[in-house]
Amino acid sequence: MNLLLGSFTIGLILSLLALGVYISFRIFNFPDMTADGSITLGAAVAAILLVHGVAPIGATLAGAAAGAASGAVTGLLHTRFRINGLLAGILVMTALYSLNLHVMGRSNVPLLSTATLAKEAETVGLAALGGLPTLHCFGWEVSVCDMAMLVFTFMAVVVVCIGLYLFFRTNLGTAMRATGDNQQMIRALGVNTDTMIVIGLALSNGLIALSGALLAQYQGFADVQMGIGMLVWGLASVIIGEALVRSRGLAMTIVGAVMGSILFRLMVAIALRWGLNPNDLKLITAVFVFVALILPGLTAKIHRRKEASAHA
Amino acid sequence: MLDIRGLRKTFNAGSPDEVRALRGVDLHIKAGAFVVVIGSNGSGKSTLLNAVAGGFLPDAGQIKLAGRNVTRWPEYRRAKLIGRVFQNPFSGTAPHMTIAENLALAARRGQVHGLGWSLSRHLRQAFRDRIRALGMGLEDRLDNEIGSLSGGQRQALTLLMAAWRKPQLLLLDEHTAALDPKTADQVIRLTQSVVAAENLTTLMVTHSMHQAVNLGDRLIMMHQGRIIRDFSAVAKKRLRAEDLLEQFNEVRRADQLDPGAAEMLKALYV
Repeated sequence: MNLLLGSFTIGLILSLLALGVYISFRIFNFPDMTADGSITLGAAVAAILLVHGVAPIGATLAGAAAGAASGAVTGLLHTRFRINGLLAGILVMTALYSLNLHVMGRSNVPLLSTATLAKEAETVGLAALGGLPTLHCFGWEVSVCDMAMLVFTFMAVVVVCIGLYLFFRTNLGTAMRATGDNQQMIRALGVNTDTMIVIGLALSNGLIALSGALLAQYQGFADVQMGIGMLVWGLASVIIGEALVRSRGLAMTIVGAVMGSILFRLMVAIALRWGLNPNDLKLITAVFVFVALILPGLTAKIHRRKEASAHA
Repeated sequence: MLDIRGLRKTFNAGSPDEVRALRGVDLHIKAGAFVVVIGSNGSGKSTLLNAVAGGFLPDAGQIKLAGRNVTRWPEYRRAKLIGRVFQNPFSGTAPHMTIAENLALAARRGQVHGLGWSLSRHLRQAFRDRIRALGMGLEDRLDNEIGSLSGGQRQALTLLMAAWRKPQLLLLDEHTAALDPKTADQVIRLTQSVVAAENLTTLMVTHSMHQAVNLGDRLIMMHQGRIIRDFSAVAKKRLRAEDLLEQFNEVRRADQLDPGAAEMLKALYV
């Protein structure tokens, strides 16, 4: 049960990463590699501020803001200096590796003895249940700490999802979606597509960094290596989400990305439980995304061949 | 209204692919005029339209629109003054967004995109009314993705979008060239009614001699990056498609072009 709770919580935290990747890859059609750096940046900024005694909520939001700034830099490199989008992201991601080390001062910052959102959630949870350390849930005994963190994360994700949904229905949000869909058209309607891309990447990486800040507080440390492969992880979640909801509507795709993230985390947790070597995790994630990317084209091809042979 | 002076543009200058697309174009269009531009492939007619729309910066010359010098304005800024319909029916709309969302973007052409809702009940009703007037049965499909519509339907909606906020200048870039003849006729009729309804100043590029003769109140013929003929409303009324073709042949003879090419043109256009 604790495995399940943990998976849900991490899945929810990483669903913010998935939403960020969804914005850059799907809404803007922009292969933004900044994610691997910005998730660590969010964690690093939040962690170092927490160590210095800043309130958890402030530290978390500062982490998200730092991520948004890094996304804006990627956007500026691409729009202002006409650097290929993929390369712009890689440049910022690489630069962020050094920057993250500078922010943290070392490669790992533990948060075991500092106040974090996780601990605040635990305090609130304990107070709400009159100080019982465990409670029974569907016949299982679970710790209030885990449950409180899950509820808190769930609420945060719901707020972000509703916020995103509403935002993408405003004039600005609609113009941003159109920028990803047809740049020529939206320029002819008077929208500066460069500005839209910069704001969009800032929003995307802000969410990704928020995910990093929450992850660091949940697992109790920030590590300079924690971002490696996270972009592919987010992409896998988005792809699973799309397969789950099979809709291009805005609300459904947002919910899909969250569901995809949770499901993917569960699958990974179960695979690890069954004895999957953790070292193989990134390889398997990459292979999974590869298969998911080529599968639609492949099935269409086989389908066409079958039809052709049926006609022959 | 539109005032173009000494406009020049050379693409890929200095390379083997150098194209001197505009070689000194002067053009003055009065407010409310409907000007049709005709010319063969590579004559510079689409380049002229793109220069006005802001697709590139000219090498020399000046473009003034509604009293403002817009020569150095980026494309998105000029969109405040200009409505556009492209040759490719898929260029003018965002395929994965709904009809209503596309129209909502057009309803804010050239305005600030802030945090207000892009769609309101009032706006949707206005869209429904205008779309019903098209007679295409799309008024109940406001929430369908616009990409699910045919090329003709999308082009009709693009036209509606370009004129939703009255533009100072409407640019039509061979906007029926990619449509089948029947649909092209529909879109041309719609074009006439939209232009007439608001007395829009219009610059339209076409490949079709029939459209050139039958539409608008001024006809301009381009060749090798220059304006070579300029028919006023009176001269244009007497013009037939055959006369126009003869004019083209004259130009080609002057260029010592293969007469076979002239025959091919006749087969193509008339």
